[in-house]
Amino acid sequence: MDERKKIIEFKHIVKNFGDAVVLKGIDLDIYENEFVTLLGPSGCGKTTLLRILGGFLEPNEGQVILDGEDIKNVPPYKRELNTVFQRYALFPHMNVYDNIAFGLKIKKMSKDVIDQKVMRMLKLIGLEGFEKKDVTLLSGGQQQRVAIARALVNEPKVLLLDEPLSALDHKLRKEMQYELKRIQQEVGITFIFVTHDQEEALTMSDKIVVMNKGEIQQVGSPEEIYNEPVNRYVAQFIGESNIVPAIMLEDEKVKFDDTVFDCVDKGFKDNERVDVIIRPEDIDIVPVEKGKMTGEVLSVLFKGVHYEIMVETVPGTTVNVNMHIVGDNTKRSEDGKEMISANDFYLDLEDMEGIDDKEIIARAGAQAWNPETDEFTSIAHVETDLKQETGEYHVTFSTSDGLEVTRKIWVIDQRVVENKKANEAISAFNFFKTADEIAESQALDTDLKVWANAQAWKLDDEDENVELFVDYDFDPENLQQGIYKVTFSTTGREFKIHTTDYVEEGKEVGLTFNPEDIHVMEKMGF
Amino acid sequence: MKKFKQLVIPYIVWSILMLLLPMLLIAMYSFMKQGNSILPFKLTIHNYVKFFTDKDFLLILLRSLLIAVKTTIICLLLGYPLAYFIAKTPEKKRNNLILLITLPMWINMLVRTYAWIGLLSNDGLFAWIFSLLGFKHVELLYTETAVLIGMVYNFLPFMILQINTALTKIDPSLIEASYDLGASKKETFRRVILPLSLSGVISGIALVFLPAVSSFFIPKLLGGGQYFLIGNVIENQFITVGEWNFGSAISMIMAVIMMLSMYAVRRIDSNNHQQEDE
Repeated sequence: MDERKKIIEFKHIVKNFGDAVVLKGIDLDIYENEFVTLLGPSGCGKTTLLRILGGFLEPNEGQVILDGEDIKNVPPYKRELNTVFQRYALFPHMNVYDNIAFGLKIKKMSKDVIDQKVMRMLKLIGLEGFEKKDVTLLSGGQQQRVAIARALVNEPKVLLLDEPLSALDHKLRKEMQYELKRIQQEVGITFIFVTHDQEEALTMSDKIVVMNKGEIQQVGSPEEIYNEPVNRYVAQFIGESNIVPAIMLEDEKVKFDDTVFDCVDKGFKDNERVDVIIRPEDIDIVPVEKGKMTGEVLSVLFKGVHYEIMVETVPGTTVNVNMHIVGDNTKRSEDGKEMISANDFYLDLEDMEGIDDKEIIARAGAQAWNPETDEFTSIAHVETDLKQETGEYHVTFSTSDGLEVTRKIWVIDQRVVENKKANEAISAFNFFKTADEIAESQALDTDLKVWANAQAWKLDDEDENVELFVDYDFDPENLQQGIYKVTFSTTGREFKIHTTDYVEEGKEVGLTFNPEDIHVMEKMGF
Repeated sequence: MKKFKQLVIPYIVWSILMLLLPMLLIAMYSFMKQGNSILPFKLTIHNYVKFFTDKDFLLILLRSLLIAVKTTIICLLLGYPLAYFIAKTPEKKRNNLILLITLPMWINMLVRTYAWIGLLSNDGLFAWIFSLLGFKHVELLYTETAVLIGMVYNFLPFMILQINTALTKIDPSLIEASYDLGASKKETFRRVILPLSLSGVISGIALVFLPAVSSFFIPKLLGGGQYFLIGNVIENQFITVGEWNFGSAISMIMAVIMMLSMYAVRRIDSNNHQQEDE
């Protein structure tokens, strides 16, 4: 057990603003002399927790215990905590000295004691000689230091810092990170630091509290959080990572992408579904025959210290369809006052059931309009000899004025392309369009997916859709009648690798890693 | 850029014609002998001597300054708490309250002042309330109190609006910072809120004091003939007596007094800042 003294205990803190629950029962202990970081995206409740501690908000449920005492009824000005606010909140009508001396003057300390303490603080923050300066004329970094001094001079038990570095530029932020750590070590009190910046958290903290949606995800040292994240959320939030869904076959054996790997994790149920994380810097690129996995190098980015290399170990699933570009598909009425158009189309036998006129009109892209006013008129009748078996059928669309057009429907038993290794299936249909329809499309990729009725899904869970990418090599502005190929594909499995060795794009390589580089995490329960 | 600058010319011409020229004319008139023609121009300080050697005029000046000071103090004492209260309400409600404060201004000032005659008269609302409380025959109308009431009523919104603007501009995190550093609500008010709202107080004082000193129709309506202020004297000189030169001289004297008093107020303000620095 921890020998150190607990300074703050949060006991089941619940806070809601109206209907929104911001904190869902936070339990957290903070010890003396710790540099604790509350880390999470905006809206995760970290600032709310800090404000509850500062006394500016009241929790709906739960207790806050400071130094063994419940501080529910202690107003902010009587709490032995001080805060460094996000925008510093320096008093604009006072100079540097008076800002820092504010708390001491309130406590009615004698002038020479105040003088001593303020001077010592100015020295600590490296702003000696600035005491008479107007705070509004200071730079961001200097204002930041004054805000820290103004809080620290009161010798609080705990210093709260609410995203104090977010308004500073990158270089200054780095400097202040070291500065804050130095100050904390020098004064030896507990710092509670709120940030959404994972790098800041890793650099400065003794303990990181990762929060999401009002809940604590993980509490641990920076090393623990980085090397052993408890779930996908923490892994993604801290550092870069490759996260792969996997199955834990037995202790120290995990299977992903149809391959079994050795690992060092145990304690999961046999055949439990898990997530596996491998950090990009833990993967080495080796010749194909030595790799635990093999794949093709997709991209190489130079990042200064290292290259970031993407390797595709499992190719995506692909399906090709034919796009038939047909000639003019419009028909004009005898008086020339109405026009109608429609396309032939393919239909899956499975989709036949319950198909109605509306659906047929949509699939054929049937429409009628008045060429003079450009106003659409409605399709009044749909007549078809469609049957529940594969074959070629006809459909006739007509308007109320009797203008009609007849097209073909092919009912087919559509083949589904399955990819067991990637756990995916994909299907798409041939389709008919005019060159004009292609040229007029505002978002061609999306339209192509709709026209081809292209879909991809997980084999083990048909309701989970997989994102599709569209590829074609025609010029959409210049199409002639004929047949064109459109390719729909999924991404496959890609691994991100950080290495100092250069590899050429397009090369086949092997990937290897040690069993201890695989970290197995529980699936997040949502 | 040059073209853009040229756009300002009409405004400068307008300002000279409508603002500067009349003032210069008044200044010139005040140093001239009787008569409306500018030529021949004969310099004299006779008008000023006449004012400063007449005890009655000096008394009226003193009375005007006194009632303006009283008005300003009452407006400040009533206006600050009201402005503070309004500033603390949530924004939507605050806007409604501000609307309520400014609402009377939509009606002509003269009409509203006339309404007070009815309220303050011997058979008016106030006399009736006093009689219920046991005070019989309280004379309100045509007294200094009536003039004071009329002035406070007319100028209070200016004070409230100025202070309220200054208060709402204070960053709420400054108040939290003050609590955080151990200051109680009272201390926070004294050390943070009050000093930061001082700019509003200063402009509020200016906006109340200046029109109060030179107002002439409020004392005329609510003070009857008995209560004569410097504004009424100036009005008389121009309209009834027709001594434009003397009227101009009094106007100039008033202008100088106002400038001096504003300068004094600003000095007090900056002295306050320096004291904080020590």
